[in-house]
Amino acid sequence: MSIGINPTKEYFAELWRFRELYYALTVREIKVRYKQTTLGIGWAILQPLALTIIFTVVFSFLLNFGSGNAPYPVFAYSALLVWTFFSNAITFGSLSVVTNGNLVSKIYFPRELLPFATITASLFDFVIASLIFLLMFFYFDLKITPNLFYLFLIIPCIFFLTSGLSLILSALNVIFRDVRFILPMALQVIFYATPIIYSLNNIPDKYHKYFALNPLAPLIDSFRDVTVLGQKPDLLPLFIAFLVSLIIFIGGLIFFRMKEKVFADVI
Amino acid sequence: MSFQEVIKFEKVTKDYDLSRLKYGLLVDTFSGLFNIILRRQQKSINNKFVALKDVTFSVSGGETLGIIGRNGAGKSTILKLISKITYPDTGKITAVGRIGAFIELGAGLHYELTGRENIYLYGAILGMKRKEIREKFDDIVNFAGIRKFLDIPIKKYSSGMYSRLGFSVCAFCDPDILLVDEVLAVGDASFQNKCLLKMEEFRKSGKTIVFVSHNLDAIKAICSRVIYLEKGKIVKVGKPKDIVNFYLSRVEIKN
Repeated sequence: MSIGINPTKEYFAELWRFRELYYALTVREIKVRYKQTTLGIGWAILQPLALTIIFTVVFSFLLNFGSGNAPYPVFAYSALLVWTFFSNAITFGSLSVVTNGNLVSKIYFPRELLPFATITASLFDFVIASLIFLLMFFYFDLKITPNLFYLFLIIPCIFFLTSGLSLILSALNVIFRDVRFILPMALQVIFYATPIIYSLNNIPDKYHKYFALNPLAPLIDSFRDVTVLGQKPDLLPLFIAFLVSLIIFIGGLIFFRMKEKVFADVI
Repeated sequence: MSFQEVIKFEKVTKDYDLSRLKYGLLVDTFSGLFNIILRRQQKSINNKFVALKDVTFSVSGGETLGIIGRNGAGKSTILKLISKITYPDTGKITAVGRIGAFIELGAGLHYELTGRENIYLYGAILGMKRKEIREKFDDIVNFAGIRKFLDIPIKKYSSGMYSRLGFSVCAFCDPDILLVDEVLAVGDASFQNKCLLKMEEFRKSGKTIVFVSHNLDAIKAICSRVIYLEKGKIVKVGKPKDIVNFYLSRVEIKN
């Protein structure tokens, strides 16, 4: 295939041509993930729910962590909802190219579809798990405020950040299988470095600047602010997280493109 | 039928770096970096395997090109380069039209999914639209002869059913350029016959075929032109009968 006048346009045109494969791979991902499990899609709910129960018992009940104006379970669930999406998407996403090694070395298609399909499947889980979140809203009688509209900014940011990281890690994992071992440790660190089980309000102000290094922190914090607490998010950190997520996403696409030519030779 | 060139290789060279064929180790990269920083000489200089060297040829629309040669001569590499699975180190490759491949049937099938689900998945992998698959669905199922087992996971299938399913989806994907790599090596006699008949059908409808095989009778029966490869270089191109005889004489001399 010749290189056209506008490679970027051609790149997206090709992704568009393969949209049916993207759909098919996503459906496969969702179906296969829960095949032969008794609870099936129920796991999408049970994962964040079980963590919520554990953390409520340990941190709220035993250690008496503060959760602002909201009850601790819903405070924790709102963050764990996003966290479960983030960590599942990145875990499955980073493995996606290697697990489909036989496809990659036999058939041509834009390889980006593999991480994107796993992320979309995780997004599907996220939607399912959100249904329980809605129920919690009614159960704890939380207020629904216009601040919810910020979700239209926050959720795309989370998606960009997660996709960008998955693209980079899935490409790296083809070349360095060490990624598979490093990732769980890294996720553990990020988990504690992000206000999930605690609130940023519990942290002394002088440490707040360090949280700016972690784009996930303001995203999860804002997500909780606009849903559970019904308040306006801190706009500056959110805006910075938006820029960082976008840069990571575009950087991830470019990095993946650069590396994908050798996938079939190395895998 | 068109006679313009649909596939074109211009001075294509492809190396495989043997040290990189294995899994990359972070340690290697870091020690490599150190070597570069310290301006040390790299230990291994000649660790390359040349899969193709300065290969130039073209295929016209409607032609059936055969490629023969010993194992490791670079036959499959040519097919991989045509379908853009891998890329050349130097040289230029052009391929016009939808490319379909009968290579190692079933690479895209998933064990946990049912036959029906796999037909849609594999069809999509081969570049078919859902609408198109739906229209051809019955033909595919009948051709594979798996109607009774459509809704059970294919991990319960026999290996014969498995390859028939893969082949049938391929057979109905209707590409402009068809790449065939050693499918005749698997399957029983009737399956091989089906493959050959389908290829014949493709040929008659004016499609371009590139056929890699060790089955010299099949090469002679189907191809209009044959390339003989040796160690990544084109040694001879010509009529199937001549090239096959040439190949056989070369093999005999070496033995």
